[in-house]
Amino acid sequence: MYKYLLCWRYLRTRYIALASIVSVTLGVATMIVVNSVMAGFADKMRDRLHGVLADLIVESRSYEGFWNYEEVMARVKEVGGDDVVAMAPTMETPGMLRISRGGRPAESRLVQIIGVRPEDRAKVGDFAEHLFDQEGNRIPPSFEVTDAIKALSPAGRDLKALESDPEDTFLKESEREWLESQRDKQVPIHGAILGYALATYHLGNGRDDIYIADIGQKVALAFPMQAKIPQTGADDFTVVGYFKSGMSEYDSTHVYVPLEELQRARNLQRASDGKGSVNQVQIKVREGADLDALADKLQLAMEQLSPMFFHVSTWEQKQGPLLAAVAIEQSILNILLFFIIAVAGFGILAIFSMIVVEKTRDIGILKALGASTAGVRNIFLGYGLLLGAVGSGVGMAGGLLFVRYINEIEKGLSVILKHKVFDDSIYYFDRIPTLVEPHTVVAIVAGALFIAVGASVWPARRAAKMHPVKALRFE
Amino acid sequence: MTSHIAAFGLRKSYRKGKIEVPVLGGVDVDAARGEFVTVMGASGSGKSTMLHLLGLLDQPDAGQVVLDGRRIDDRPDRERDRLRNRTFGFIFQFYHLLPELSAVENVMMPHLIREGVFSYIRKRKQIRRDAEELLDRVGLGHRMAHQPSEMSGGEIQRAAIARALVARPEVLLADEPTGNLDSSTGQGVLDLLRDLNRERGLTMILVTHDQQIAHQADRVVRLSEGRIEEWVPALV
Repeated sequence: MYKYLLCWRYLRTRYIALASIVSVTLGVATMIVVNSVMAGFADKMRDRLHGVLADLIVESRSYEGFWNYEEVMARVKEVGGDDVVAMAPTMETPGMLRISRGGRPAESRLVQIIGVRPEDRAKVGDFAEHLFDQEGNRIPPSFEVTDAIKALSPAGRDLKALESDPEDTFLKESEREWLESQRDKQVPIHGAILGYALATYHLGNGRDDIYIADIGQKVALAFPMQAKIPQTGADDFTVVGYFKSGMSEYDSTHVYVPLEELQRARNLQRASDGKGSVNQVQIKVREGADLDALADKLQLAMEQLSPMFFHVSTWEQKQGPLLAAVAIEQSILNILLFFIIAVAGFGILAIFSMIVVEKTRDIGILKALGASTAGVRNIFLGYGLLLGAVGSGVGMAGGLLFVRYINEIEKGLSVILKHKVFDDSIYYFDRIPTLVEPHTVVAIVAGALFIAVGASVWPARRAAKMHPVKALRFE
Repeated sequence: MTSHIAAFGLRKSYRKGKIEVPVLGGVDVDAARGEFVTVMGASGSGKSTMLHLLGLLDQPDAGQVVLDGRRIDDRPDRERDRLRNRTFGFIFQFYHLLPELSAVENVMMPHLIREGVFSYIRKRKQIRRDAEELLDRVGLGHRMAHQPSEMSGGEIQRAAIARALVARPEVLLADEPTGNLDSSTGQGVLDLLRDLNRERGLTMILVTHDQQIAHQADRVVRLSEGRIEEWVPALV
């Protein structure tokens, strides 16, 4: 009984020891905050990655792709059965985007050109959800260059001004014809959806992004042609919308165009029947299905169809390096932060050694009164555990509170520092995402307790080994 | 009369660096049940060491300590801890109380060491009452909840006596219990011990270098350079 009483009294009377556990507290709190934020980011990122990527992708190893995609899709359906919910043939190719705008030098950017049938693409993953117009309103998944879009071109605007003029003369009729021909030149018939970051300048610091490619504007794409020797082709498209997923990698590279137009422009249509090729079949799988197992089965089936030609991957495999990088970052941070707590352990060790020396006489008295060696050791081990529990308990509460109110704290800090601490436009998150994983919290607290007890082992053993007579004679 | 506690041929030496310093060179001492024995000697004569050996705080290099005819100095640690807790009561010269605990908690300490959590909770009222009664008996009824830092030297020494007696030991070993007190306070403490010795039939071995105190005992033993020098019947 005396052990508990003394542990408790030491805890309440030795403030210096409480000071030594402040670093445990801070370490635990920091680890909880960092892990929660990183887990939140990773979770959000996985969500978005998965949203944009289809569950499974069957792709050919060559950019020219394959014509028998109907056969491939039939095979996928056959192997996957009910697990396959939707499929979309896609042609993806690297290319160059050129945006020119009156009076300014044209800008060229490296892009990933993705030829899709918009309705099919929308079925295999989040696509329609990420399409916006210039005002930020959602738009349907379509490449159609509507009259409204046509009217946004310079000639279209002039035409509109002309029509609103009540006077109607012969001169005007000829002007209208000319303007109409100009408008059709200015507005290519095929639409393209640009990644949001491609089409805008990001100024940051809360200022609005500037559009460099407006809706209705003509943009040019260059891409590799199918030919005997490497050769590029080019085609004009009209901007009809923007793709904004929140993944900067996609938003700054993806350009969606109509599949058939890309096939035609890249010279991928067979001469015999005009059928174009694709190099991907994107597949949406029933929720809860085992993706890896299905990918393996599909790979086998594809090998039978055409050996060494197809590659089947899950969305996680596609983004493997990115997800792995986040995981590695998190574990390295955890190791570094754990050192903070380890340092706190040495603080506890030093202060405990001091307390043991200070308590030499008390230890002698306790032993004279019949306290056992194990009993004396347990006083200090228990004290270490108690300190660890208080330190990590306060740290846990503080960390969880910080995570809970992280956005409010961020706002407060932004006001004080007069600039945005968490610039939401970089990640397109309106709030800092957090995810508290109970097992992580438990592991952190258990680790801190382990270190606190571990640091008190040596002083406790020294106290326990103290010879009562020497302890009593201690001056 | 058979002896309650006795020691035969106790030898003990301490190492100081490479030199071995003999402290006790074969001491025989005994006390009958209820007897009050004082041990006199100059400082450095080995009085305290003898007391520590008798009370199992230390182990002799040679010789035996016998309690009720049974050798106890070679018992395992567990049993020695138990004997210190139940059979022996110690009073030290520097009368040290644990500074984190109040007077009454200090006095309860032998019981707190003996009992586990659950048996303490069951007996806590009795344990506290025993401690309070004893504190009252040593004249500290008004100091129960005080911390040692708020008490005078004499009060602390009396609390230490209460602590030594609360577990109802059979043998009280006191090392210059009045050494640090003025003579009137010291005499008060001594009278208290004498009364308790009579009331409870307590066997008392008291180490002192003060002639006056020594001669209030039933018997005086003189210790010089690690040996018993002479046996002096006390002047009753």
